[in-house]
Amino acid sequence: MTVAGMLAGMVGASRNLQLAEPAKFGLGERVLLAALMLGSAGLFAWRGAPIALAIWGSKKDEDLRLRPLGRRLWRFFWEVLCQAKVIRQRRLPGLAHALVYWGFLAFALVTMNDLAEGFGCDFLGHAGAFGTFYEAFAGVWALLVALAIAGLFARRFLVRPKWLGEVSPESGVIALLIFALMATYLAMLVVKQHSPAAAYLWWAHTLVLLTFLPIIPGTKHLHLLLSPLTVFLKRPEFSQLPKLEGDEDFGLVAGKDLTRIIALQAYSCVECGRCTEHCPAAATGKVLNPKEVVLGVKTFLNVHGPGSDAPLLQDGPEGGQRALSMQAAFACTTCGSCEYQCPVGVQHLPVLIGLRRGAVNTGAWEDRYGTKLFLNLEKQGNSLGMGAAERDKFIARQGFPLFDGSQEYCLWLGCMGSYDPKGREIAADFARVMQALGTSFGVLKKESCTGDPARRLGNDLLFGELAEQGLKNFAAAGVKKIVTICPHCVRTIAGDWREYGVAPEIEHHSEFMARHAPLLESLMTGEQGGSIVYHDPCYLGRYREVYDPPREVVAMAGELVEAERHRERSFCCGAGGGLAFLGEEAGERVSHGRVRELINTGAKTIGTACPFCNSMFRDALGQVGGAAPPQLLDIAQLVARRLPVLAMVSGEPRS
Amino acid sequence: MKIVVAVKQVPEREAALRVTPDGRGIDESDVEWTMNEPDAYALEEALQLKQRAADAGLGEAEVVVLCAGPERVQSTLREALAKGADRALHVVTPESGEGSLAERGSLDVARLLAEAVKGEQPELVLTGLQSDDLGAGQTGVVMAELLGVPHATLVLQVEFAGQGGGGRRIKVRRELEDGWTQFVEMPLPALLTIQSGGNRLRYATLMGIKRARQKEMRELSAAAPAQRVDEVVRVSPPLRVKQTEMLTGAAEEIAAKLVERLRFEVKVL
Ligand code: SF4
Ligand code: SF4
Repeated sequence: MTVAGMLAGMVGASRNLQLAEPAKFGLGERVLLAALMLGSAGLFAWRGAPIALAIWGSKKDEDLRLRPLGRRLWRFFWEVLCQAKVIRQRRLPGLAHALVYWGFLAFALVTMNDLAEGFGCDFLGHAGAFGTFYEAFAGVWALLVALAIAGLFARRFLVRPKWLGEVSPESGVIALLIFALMATYLAMLVVKQHSPAAAYLWWAHTLVLLTFLPIIPGTKHLHLLLSPLTVFLKRPEFSQLPKLEGDEDFGLVAGKDLTRIIALQAYSCVECGRCTEHCPAAATGKVLNPKEVVLGVKTFLNVHGPGSDAPLLQDGPEGGQRALSMQAAFACTTCGSCEYQCPVGVQHLPVLIGLRRGAVNTGAWEDRYGTKLFLNLEKQGNSLGMGAAERDKFIARQGFPLFDGSQEYCLWLGCMGSYDPKGREIAADFARVMQALGTSFGVLKKESCTGDPARRLGNDLLFGELAEQGLKNFAAAGVKKIVTICPHCVRTIAGDWREYGVAPEIEHHSEFMARHAPLLESLMTGEQGGSIVYHDPCYLGRYREVYDPPREVVAMAGELVEAERHRERSFCCGAGGGLAFLGEEAGERVSHGRVRELINTGAKTIGTACPFCNSMFRDALGQVGGAAPPQLLDIAQLVARRLPVLAMVSGEPRS
Repeated sequence: MKIVVAVKQVPEREAALRVTPDGRGIDESDVEWTMNEPDAYALEEALQLKQRAADAGLGEAEVVVLCAGPERVQSTLREALAKGADRALHVVTPESGEGSLAERGSLDVARLLAEAVKGEQPELVLTGLQSDDLGAGQTGVVMAELLGVPHATLVLQVEFAGQGGGGRRIKVRRELEDGWTQFVEMPLPALLTIQSGGNRLRYATLMGIKRARQKEMRELSAAAPAQRVDEVVRVSPPLRVKQTEMLTGAAEEIAAKLVERLRFEVKVL
């Protein structure tokens, strides 16, 4: 059957399913309807106005640009209209939600026509072919929506997944209203034209609708109206931190520092709990709960209104709001799972890091380890607090050539590659890979930290100094292309430094090796190394969407195995956000959970692509790895061990 | 209450130092500078004292930071202001040549500093025990002598100890050898030289830096001419004397020997 034939068939069939209309209304009924509509709209406005004011009255986002418009439109199409994220991350409930959403879209026209008809205006044209077809079409949707909402209701009140937290009674009421809306509509399709039943149903349908409307503001169902805007307006980049403006901006200190985007996002939250479900801090018993942080911002705005001087962070017993506490803000690994997962475009990281900025830039945050880290970065220029001479010795021992402008690449070692024993091994092995490929490279004589831990911990002064220093060093050395073993360095140099200038092009060693895969494979000798489970580092995966290159590299070295949570759902190692330097965690260690998951795949080797993950797993394997833990190797090491051993010829090994 | 903290700017620990051609000084052309570490602890103690004074209802204390040297030392003074000092005094000396720091010994610098301190009439003067670069450990005590006030050296902590003998008194904790400490009570005004490690230093903050721009930095001219009583004959990098000794035997024996050495020779256990 052709499509046209199918449509004709549907139109034909729909003739039997005509929407029953009540008989024409008299003046009294019309006045009543008008009064009800006004009442509903008035109530809606009364409840919605404070929210609109809270959003609009918040601080203007100076850095908000509509560009890249294409990306924004695409995201709107994909995440809002197609509901892609909702479905992808929670298949069944996601699909049910999408059905309700699409059903609503289909219904918009019918609903407007319905209300207009109360006043005797039938713009859709009941009797006409289009009207008849469309109403039947909406009928199909009504059925789907009714089924979907019933399913969601059952999930919420019978299955009760723990991520939803306390389910609010109002969401049950809403579900019932939606169901009633659909049921009355479906019933109108079967009762007789102009019958009293048709009139009752029409009134019931309309009343439900007019009740539904004012409930929306002030509940999480506000996302119906706000989230399309939120998704469209969200900051284009992952974990994008706004530039601090002027002399009085230190991040999120008081209510008046909350921006419109932050407020809009907070009011858009649907309390679905995806962020918390995927949060490594919440999963291991830390105080942090990203959903509560978002709701904390919302409650704050409800209580204090926009532009208030009240401090955002409240610690201590009398504080009450534990959600927005310093303890919570500093428990975040900045893994980005929350931000990635959120279906309505809430961006948690600018809030969490914003709170840290507020606490650190004003000196309110006092932490023994944090202070030590900052002082190490201030004085020593590296996060591990080692003397630069240690790095010089390591470079000399390895015979790494110094970058002099003649080589193609600058091999950036980073703090881990310069000072951490395992990081050094990784750097050395990657250097061997480059050498085997015949790529010319050199290391900088002097490196200072990119400022990643300072940035994530909210120390803008220190980060700015390090970024400026780094840019200067690259410019002075005439570096054009950088390659590094550390995803944190890549993100910070390529992303965060932009506030201070243009850095040379940088890539992660996984991308470099994947690009040279054919040549590398031709150089490889010996057997493949058995099964390898690859762990996606947050800063390579979710932050930069580099998922396939490291996998290609792993596949060269052995059989690739996937952990239960992988790619964009990968679970943090616990090191990010400066947490690697902050001393013992409260509750279970994030790395332990992840390492168990990796061990459970049964793989012989754990492949990492970040020296921080590697270091966390090394410790975790020692504690929970059991008698025969899997081997732990960086992807560069996986490749290097299958390459013939070469002496470092391009450098001059010194003793 | 007023506290003056005298600080010194020294080359960064990682700085690659070059001896000048005449062999009697350091080539400063590409040296990066930082605050002398014991002075940073002196500043920290002053800031904490200020807090303690406020907590104890002793009124608002003012912390004045003082440094002698050429233009470059202002970055160190700014750093001190950023960390919380209330205002700064800069005793300006020429970059090089006649009257410059290179021409002045500890006594000379102490004279410059004492002169500036006199103008302030503080109750307490704090400074680092010694400098990370020259390490003479003289400036503080000489300054106390020039000011005619009592002093204590190697101080880790300062407490207010009430009134007595016509003024406020303090109690200080001094570090002695081998982990011993000594408590000394003394009257104010006084001068204390502070040992590193008594406190935790604070990190510099963006707010501190921004506020520091509005704080007063007064320049004073170095009135006293240089009069060295000593003479720098030669400057040279330290000669490397490294001794490696292999401990042999079974693991237990090695461990026992190692513990013995660490405890009685290196004295770290
Ligand atoms: S970034 Fe990661 S650790 Fe931080 S709140 Fe989000 S999910 Fe939790
Ligand atoms: S912030 Fe986003 S992911 Fe988290 S509960 Fe709200 S809507 Fe869900």
